[in-house]
Amino acid sequence: MNGLTRLYRTYRVGTTAARLWSMYKVPATLRRWTGRPERTNEELEPVNERASAVLLDLAFDLRGVIIKMCQAIATRSDRFPPSFIDQLKQCHDAVPSKPFEVVKVHVERELGKSLDEAFHSFEPEPIASASLAQVHAAVLHDGSKVAVKVQYPDIQEIVQTDLRNMRRACRIYEWLDPQPLELLPLLEELAKHISYELDFEREADSADRVRELFKNNDTVVVPRIHRELSTKRVLVMELVSGTKITEKNAILEMGLTPRDVLQDLMHIFVHMIMADGFFQADPHPGNLMVTPEGRIIVLDFGLSKELPDGFGLGLFELMFSMMTLNEAAMIKAFTALGFQTKTGDTKTFVAIARRMMRRSDTGRFEGEFTEEMTDELFDAIREDPVVSVPSDFVLVGRVFSLLSGIAHTLGHRANVLQAMGAGSPG
Amino acid sequence: MGLCFVRSSLIGAKASGIMSESPEPGRLVYTPKELLSDGEYAEPLYAGGVLCHGGFESDGAYRPPRTLHRTPAIAAWQGQIGAGGGELVTISDEQVPPQYPSVDQAKLLLKAGVREPIVRALTVISILEGFGAIIRDVRVPDLKELLLEPFDGTALAHLDKGLFEAHARDEAGYRDQGGHKQMWEAARDLALENPTVPSDVFMRLMGDRGRARGGGDPLFPQLDKKLYRMLMMMSQVLVIEVFARGTFEWGIDVLSDPEVSAEPEKAGTMVRYIQADESPHVEYLRTGLSEIRTRTLRTVDGKTIAGREVVDGILHHILHRMRESRPREQRDDTRNALIAAVDAGEAKKSLLEDFDAMAPEWDRPERTGFEPQAA
Repeated sequence: MNGLTRLYRTYRVGTTAARLWSMYKVPATLRRWTGRPERTNEELEPVNERASAVLLDLAFDLRGVIIKMCQAIATRSDRFPPSFIDQLKQCHDAVPSKPFEVVKVHVERELGKSLDEAFHSFEPEPIASASLAQVHAAVLHDGSKVAVKVQYPDIQEIVQTDLRNMRRACRIYEWLDPQPLELLPLLEELAKHISYELDFEREADSADRVRELFKNNDTVVVPRIHRELSTKRVLVMELVSGTKITEKNAILEMGLTPRDVLQDLMHIFVHMIMADGFFQADPHPGNLMVTPEGRIIVLDFGLSKELPDGFGLGLFELMFSMMTLNEAAMIKAFTALGFQTKTGDTKTFVAIARRMMRRSDTGRFEGEFTEEMTDELFDAIREDPVVSVPSDFVLVGRVFSLLSGIAHTLGHRANVLQAMGAGSPG
Repeated sequence: MGLCFVRSSLIGAKASGIMSESPEPGRLVYTPKELLSDGEYAEPLYAGGVLCHGGFESDGAYRPPRTLHRTPAIAAWQGQIGAGGGELVTISDEQVPPQYPSVDQAKLLLKAGVREPIVRALTVISILEGFGAIIRDVRVPDLKELLLEPFDGTALAHLDKGLFEAHARDEAGYRDQGGHKQMWEAARDLALENPTVPSDVFMRLMGDRGRARGGGDPLFPQLDKKLYRMLMMMSQVLVIEVFARGTFEWGIDVLSDPEVSAEPEKAGTMVRYIQADESPHVEYLRTGLSEIRTRTLRTVDGKTIAGREVVDGILHHILHRMRESRPREQRDDTRNALIAAVDAGEAKKSLLEDFDAMAPEWDRPERTGFEPQAA
C-alpha cells in the first residue's frame, strides 16, 4: 500500500467520523444551548438511517477492516439502534474479489513455488470472496480437489492503518462527547477477532481441534487441511461439497429429514459450546452444508473461540432458571456469567429475562434462543443500566440465534436443552 | 453454603408419599389448579438456603409437593381401571439393572479420596432430574378424535390439565421453589462438602458420539404422530422413573454413610424426600398408559388398533433398549473417569482392580414382560 492510499484511507475515515459527529453531537449541543429537550428515539430514527448509510458507503469504498467493523456492529444490537443493524447487515454479503494476477503472485510468494509446481490446476475465478480473503478451487498433483483460501495481499497493512485511524477517531469522539458510547472496547474486541481471522495457521489449528473433538462422530465433516501448502496467509483445504443447510427442498430431495439434519446440527454446536468449551463462532448458513449421506459440513474456523472454564455450566443454569421462572437462580446465573449492573441492582436481570421470554412465541423459555429473544436481550441491555456483558456471551448468543434462524427455515426449533439430551420422545 | 433445614428435629422423619386423608375420595375430575395445589404445610423445606417444594406436616412427616388432590385423584383413577376389569401396567423389579458404580464401589472410591466420579454422577443425576421438566412441552393430541371409548374422569383427561405441569415443577422447581435438581445438588454438597463440579460434566452427559436420530422408524406408523410421540415420552419417562428406584437406594446408602459423607443424616434424608416425591410420577404415568391399554385407538388410515398392542409394543421396545444401554453407559462413564485418575497419578492402579472386582452382577431377564402377542 503506497503513501497516497494510506492518506486517502485516513482522509475517508476522518471525514466520515466528522460527519457522524456532526449528525449527532452538533444538534444536541445546539439544543442544550437553546434550552430545547434532547431528541427522542423517534426523532433520531431518520438520523440513524442517514448515519448508517454513510458508514455503509465507507465500508464498500474502503472494505477490509471497515467491512469487518460494520459486520461486528450488525451483530451488536445490544449497543446500536435497529437501523444500523439493518443497513450494515449488507456487509455480510459477498465483496468484489481481487484479480487472478494479483492472487497468483501472492500465492506463489507465500508458498515459495510457482502455482504450477504447487497445483495441478488452479481456477482463476474465485468461488467465494469476503472481507479479508477469497477462495479458489484447485486440484493437487495427486488429484485431490482442494479449496485455496487466499488472504488479500495488502490486507494486513490495511487492517493496521484502519485500526489506527479508527482508534484515533474513537478517542477524538470520546474527548468531544461528555457521555460517549463505549466504542473503544468494541474496537479492541474487533481487533482481536480480526487478528484471529488473519492468522490462517490458527484457523488450521482450530479446524484440526474441532475435527479431533468429533473424531467419534461421523455426522460431522471438517475439511482436512493440507499443512504442507498452507501458511499464515494461504490455507489449502479439502474441497467438500454439499447442499446449503437452509435449502429445505434440496434436503428433502436427497431423501433426508430436515428434523434429523437440524438435530445433528444442534448437537454439534451445543456439544462444542456446552461440553467442549471450544467452538466455531460463525455458523451462518454459508458456512454449513449437508452431504447426501446427511453429514454436516462445517466450514470457516477463522472465528473460533475458547470459552472460560465453567461457562457451559453457567449458561445451562441461566437457561434452566429461565425455564423454571426461578428469579433467584436467574440473578445467580447472570452474575456467574459476568453480567454487571451500574447500580448493583440485580432485579434488572430478572426484568431482562422476562422481556426475553415475552418475545418467544409461547411466552416462556422452552430451551430456544430465537433471534427475537436475543434482540430483545440486547435491546434491554442497551436501555437498562447493564455495564458489563461478557463478550463470550454475546458471541454464544449470536451463535444460538443463527441456529434458531436455520431451524425456523427448516420448519423446526433450535432447542438447546433438547440438544443436550433432555428427553426426546422420538 | 451448607444445607439448613428449618426443622432440624425432623431429620429422619418418615416421608409420607400418600396423604392419609383425601379431600374427596373417589372424585374423578379435577381442575389444573387443584392438581398443582399443595395445601398447607406446618413447615416448609429449605435446602442449601433455597426454599424447596414439599414441606412438613405438624407431626413432622414430610409431604411431597402438589399432592393435596393429585394423590387421591390418581388413586381414584387407578381404582376405576381395576373396577373395569383392566390391570395396571407394572414393570417388575427384576427389569431394573443394578446401579453402577454400586454402593460398595462408590464408597471404595470416596474412601480412597477419588471423589470426582461420584461428584460427576450426582451432578448428572441432578441435571437429568431437571431435564424432566421437558415433559410439560409434550403436546397432547385431541384424544376425543383418537380414542374410540370415552375417557372423561381419567388420568388421560388430565395430562395437559395439571399432571404434566406438576411433574415438570417437581423435577425442575418452579419460580423461587427448588425441585429435585436443587435437592440432589444439596444432597451432594452436604455429603461431599461443596465439591467442585468437574468441568467435563456436560461432556459425559452428551457423550462424544453422534446422536441416535429420532429413534429410527416409528414403531406404529399408523398412529397419529402427536399421540405416538406422547406415548413414547410417557413410556420412556416411566421406565426412567422405575429404574431410578435403584438410584435412590444407592444415593441413600452412600450419602448416609458417616464414613464417606460429611452430613450423613441430612444428605440421606434429602434423597428420601426426593424418592417420596417420585411416587406420584410413576403412578400417574402407569395409570395413563393403562387407560390407553384398555381402549381402542383410531389410526390415520381410518382403521383401529388395540391400545394394549401399542402400549406393550412401546414398553417392550424401550425396556429392551434401556436395560442394555443404561448399565453399559454408567459403567463406561465411571470406569473411564477412574482410569483417567489412575493415568494422572491421582489413584493407584490397584484401586481400579479392587473397583472392578466389586462390579455388580446382573442376570438380565430374557423377557421384558411386554412381548408382542403372537397373532
